[in-house]
Amino acid sequence: MGAVVLKRAALLVVLLALVFLTVELLPGDAAAATSERGESAADIERRRELLGLNRPVLERFWDWMSGLPTADLGTSARGEKVTDLLSSAFPNTLVLGGLALLLTAALSLGLGCWAALRPDGRVDRAVSGTATAVLALPEFVVAVALLLVLSLWTGWLPAVTLTDADGTPSDWTMLILPALALTIPQTGWNTRIVRAALADEARAPHVETAVLDGLPPHRVLTHHVLPGALPTVTAGLATSTGMLLGGAVVVETIFNYPGIGSVLASAVTDRDSPVIAGVTALAGAVITGVLLLADLVRDLTTGSRR
Amino acid sequence: MTPRLRATAVRVLPPLLLVCLALVGPWIAPHPIDAPVTAPYAEPGPDALLGGDQLGRDVLSRLLAGGRDLVLSSTLVAVLVTGSAAVLGAIGALRPRVGRLVERTADVVMLLPAVLGILLVTLSWPDGGRLAVIAAAVVLGVPYAVRLAAGAAGPVAASGYVEAAAAGGERLWHLVLREVLPNLRATLLALFGLRFVAAVYLVATAAFLQVGPQPPAADWALMIRENSSGILLNPWAVVAPSAAIGLLALSVNLAAAALAPQTGRKAVTVL
Repeated sequence: MGAVVLKRAALLVVLLALVFLTVELLPGDAAAATSERGESAADIERRRELLGLNRPVLERFWDWMSGLPTADLGTSARGEKVTDLLSSAFPNTLVLGGLALLLTAALSLGLGCWAALRPDGRVDRAVSGTATAVLALPEFVVAVALLLVLSLWTGWLPAVTLTDADGTPSDWTMLILPALALTIPQTGWNTRIVRAALADEARAPHVETAVLDGLPPHRVLTHHVLPGALPTVTAGLATSTGMLLGGAVVVETIFNYPGIGSVLASAVTDRDSPVIAGVTALAGAVITGVLLLADLVRDLTTGSRR
Repeated sequence: MTPRLRATAVRVLPPLLLVCLALVGPWIAPHPIDAPVTAPYAEPGPDALLGGDQLGRDVLSRLLAGGRDLVLSSTLVAVLVTGSAAVLGAIGALRPRVGRLVERTADVVMLLPAVLGILLVTLSWPDGGRLAVIAAAVVLGVPYAVRLAAGAAGPVAASGYVEAAAAGGERLWHLVLREVLPNLRATLLALFGLRFVAAVYLVATAAFLQVGPQPPAADWALMIRENSSGILLNPWAVVAPSAAIGLLALSVNLAAAALAPQTGRKAVTVL
């Protein structure tokens, strides 16, 4: 178990180094990006000094990396602390992403098992076909469709998110549409994984024995097939976390949801790469955590075989 | 034609038609894409079949013109990713040490949501434009594709005739290009389809987040973003480009699934 934690931590550190180097090595920096009309080269140079961009790369790299464990993500091009920019937005995004992950898990497990109970039947083919079709849809396309049907035509759900004074959505119904837009493509993707994992596990000898013993199909499914398929299913859901966090950025802009999407939208206008690097670092940390959980589930369910 | 071949043809035809339409679209557009022809958000009428957008420009013309760059960029990304993944995967299967390195790289890239990765690259490289989007999509796509290619190349690399050729002193390039890759045609074709879908997703999402094509360019994703505030006045300005992207992603994905080799379980990785 210690080895798994170490490996995941090492991968995260490598990713963070890559993120820093990307921002560093590509042309363009924060000082030039925020320049306004009529600003002289000396003005830009002064801001570069103010932001510490004129120090050696290695020194700044060490500063950035050593600041991460203490939640110091550096300074944005406008001179604000990146941590301050994200402190209220990131939890909102995590709530949205977490809700979408739960919905995805429930839906894909349900649909996958439903299809697996009647292999090659009409339900199985319909579920698998639909799953394949929706897994490729960009979230913003799904969001537009949902918005049109569930909000503008029927008026059932609010089209935009209103925010309370503390920066959280003022009503829980405002979470439904964004969460659904994230859930639908990911459910397509995970239903396929669940279905394939169940089909694999159904060929195992102990499942055959259970069937020959005359156990009813749903009992075989829940007691003999599902436990064996669990590591694959968890790993699939864990890899969805990255897609959910990335998709959240897009979906939040559509529904005006107060998460990292809005922070990133203004960062896009300012060409503010330190903010993007900070968001990426946080997202990488969350994904590492979820993948680590999936690793642990696999280790627990397969015992010490690995 | 065998039934299986016919079924595959039926699945492959719709995306091909759609791609062709997107490619010739700019020439058959009835109106210029950047001049107003109706009132802003005008409802569909005889001179603008899908109505007007936020500046009164013809939605139908912009729809016809807005797919070509998306399709061309996505094709380029898919070709580059599939090609490099095929070569790297084959080398990885023949040389285990390279294979392990590729695995580790894929592990790292998995921690980076593709959308954030594309934002990171395009913002750090402000003059990169479309090139930056394409470069980022290729870099982010290769590690996943290599896993799939290496998985398919493994059994081929371990087969008798490849081992015989290796023992006969053939060079690595010869083994990769002449012995291993020709046997992976079906897998690579399906991989190309999946990478195309993934590229459509990334290129469109980048445009939606306004780091790709800039106004007044006609681009499906950009159209959705620009016209969403007028969705109640002329829904077509948003619905038509959404449907175009949706249909493209959906039909190519179904075609790729039909092309995939039917042996055992498929490791379908989209992004």
